[in-house]
Order: sequence, then structure tokens, then C-alpha cells
Amino acid sequence: MTQAGLKALSAAPPDLPPALPQFAHIRRTWDADLGRPLAKLLPGEYYVTSHDEVIFTVLGSCVSACVRERKLGIGGMNHFMLPLDRSGGTSAWSENQFSSATRYGNVAMERLINDILNLGGRRENLEFKVVGGGKVLDTSMDVGALNAAFVRDYLRTEGFTITVEDLGESFARKVYYSPLTGKARVKRLTATLNRTIFEREKQSAPTKAQVESGSVELF
Amino acid sequence: MKIMIVDDSTAMRMIVKKTLRQAGFDGHDISEADDGAKALTAIKASMPDLVLSDWNMPNMSGMQLLEALRSEGVKVAFGFVTTEATPDMRAKATSAGAKFLISKPFSADSFKEHLGPHLR
Repeated sequence: MTQAGLKALSAAPPDLPPALPQFAHIRRTWDADLGRPLAKLLPGEYYVTSHDEVIFTVLGSCVSACVRERKLGIGGMNHFMLPLDRSGGTSAWSENQFSSATRYGNVAMERLINDILNLGGRRENLEFKVVGGGKVLDTSMDVGALNAAFVRDYLRTEGFTITVEDLGESFARKVYYSPLTGKARVKRLTATLNRTIFEREKQSAPTKAQVESGSVELF
Repeated sequence: MKIMIVDDSTAMRMIVKKTLRQAGFDGHDISEADDGAKALTAIKASMPDLVLSDWNMPNMSGMQLLEALRSEGVKVAFGFVTTEATPDMRAKATSAGAKFLISKPFSADSFKEHLGPHLR
């Protein structure tokens, strides 16, 4: 084999561990810096794994719950955009860009927890870290605050304790989460330095009616 | 009328109760169970008019609950309220005798549509 051939062979990334069938659509790549597979979540998506992988997303007003089963080292992360759907099934949000049901916190939280329990996890061993909910748009509607209040309220109602939280303020955030170790790494971004987040927030910002109908007055 | 909500999520049971109110189904006698096995015992004891059940639950799933009720000859009106609703799940639910399957996120309108025929 030639030197070039050997170099190409040695640089080839390892095969990714198989994803669970329901996550076949999630974008996953080998990250050479992390030395692990990296699963990249878009708004409305979630991902659960029993492998040594890192899950990544970028949050503006959205919130991610990073959840793991401490004893088994399995877990995942979601990325929701609003607490609840009270739109009556006539959401004005684009259906093709964002996953539908799991963009809402109540569904995103339930599916994430259910999938971990379905892999053999036990409720009493679950650990929760929550991130996001920034006020990144200069509007009167603070969707981030609603999302942050929702996730605290939801987990308290379910009898879970939040181990670590980084919620609110006026930052967008990058989040890297390893379910195996439970380590969550958060990088705060300024909105002016991150046009992608700013534009995405503007594009996907719910209407005032949607915010009010999806308020955190759950019960 | 008596309605039983079966869901292992406390938050989801509360959301279902609130959606019932928003759909105009006030004043009904609502009871709760947090898994299928507890619901099976409670349903046989209290005979509700309608059961709203989650699909995925510990101990006994919603489908197992429905099948257990039918095998024991309990004819209670039964519908699913669940996060996921694949065509296969809908077919199984219908085949087992479920009246409806509402997928989350749900709305007061979907509750009116599906529950209206069963609640006066």
C-alpha cells in the first residue's frame, strides 16, 4: 500500500455505533476533537443513546433537558421550543423545518424520559441538567422565561430534582452533553455574535397568541 | 359521569385534567391511576364511564390494560392519550376495542371531538 493510502486508512473515522431506530434521522458524525460520535440536535429533536456519544445543540430561547440514568450510563437530550401546544392543532409554525410534537416541552420531556426507561432505566436513578431559555430577541415576549419556568415546574411535579441548571439571562448557548459521564459543557454566546441563532429565533418565533396559549400555567 | 385518567406522568395527568376542563367537560367525577396494574384494580372496583390511558407505562402498559379489561368482560369505554401514534399502534388500539387514540400534543378541540360522543 502507498504512503498516501496508509495515511488515508489511518485517518478514516471509526464506524458510528448504531442509533436506536427512532433516531435514524438524527445527524451524527465522528468528532475527531472529542474522539467520539457527535449527535447534532435541531429544534424539536431529541436523542437517546446507550453508547459513549456526545449530544450537541445550540439554544436561544429553547430549552434542553440533559437526562441520564446514573447507574447504567444511558441517557439523552431534547430541544424544545415552547412549553405546551394549545394551538388547537393549527400551529402556524413551519412543519417542514422542525419536528412537530417534540417541539413542545411536555411531549419532549415525556418521550425523552420514556425512551430512557424503555432501555432499562429506573426513575429513581435519573439525573437532570437543564440549559437554555435565554432572552435572545428584543421583543416583549420572553419565550425563554416561559420555557425555563416550564421545565422547572414539570420536573418538580414529576418528583425529579434538577442537579444543575443554566437557564435564562440574555445568552444563546452551545451545549455538549455526554450521557455516559453526565458531563454537560455549556458555552454562552452573545446574540450579536451568532447570526444563525438570531435568524432562527426570528424565523421560528411563535405568535403572541401561541405564547399565551402555551403559557406555563399548566394545571 | 366517571372518568379515569391513567398515566405514569403526574404532569401529564394534570394536563389531561386541565384539557378536559378547557374542552367543556367540567363537573365529571375524575379519578387517576399511575400505572396499568393499579388502573385495572380501580376500574373493576369503580366502573368508570370512560378511561383515558397512556400507552407506555411501567408494570402494565395501556394496551395490556385494555386487553386485560376485555378478557375479563369489562366493557368500559376506553381511549388512548399518548405521545406517539404510529399507524400500527392505531390499528392495534382499534382491534383491541379502543374508541379513539389521541396523540400528544393534544388540544381542547381534539378532546371535544373524540370524547364528546362518550360524555354527556
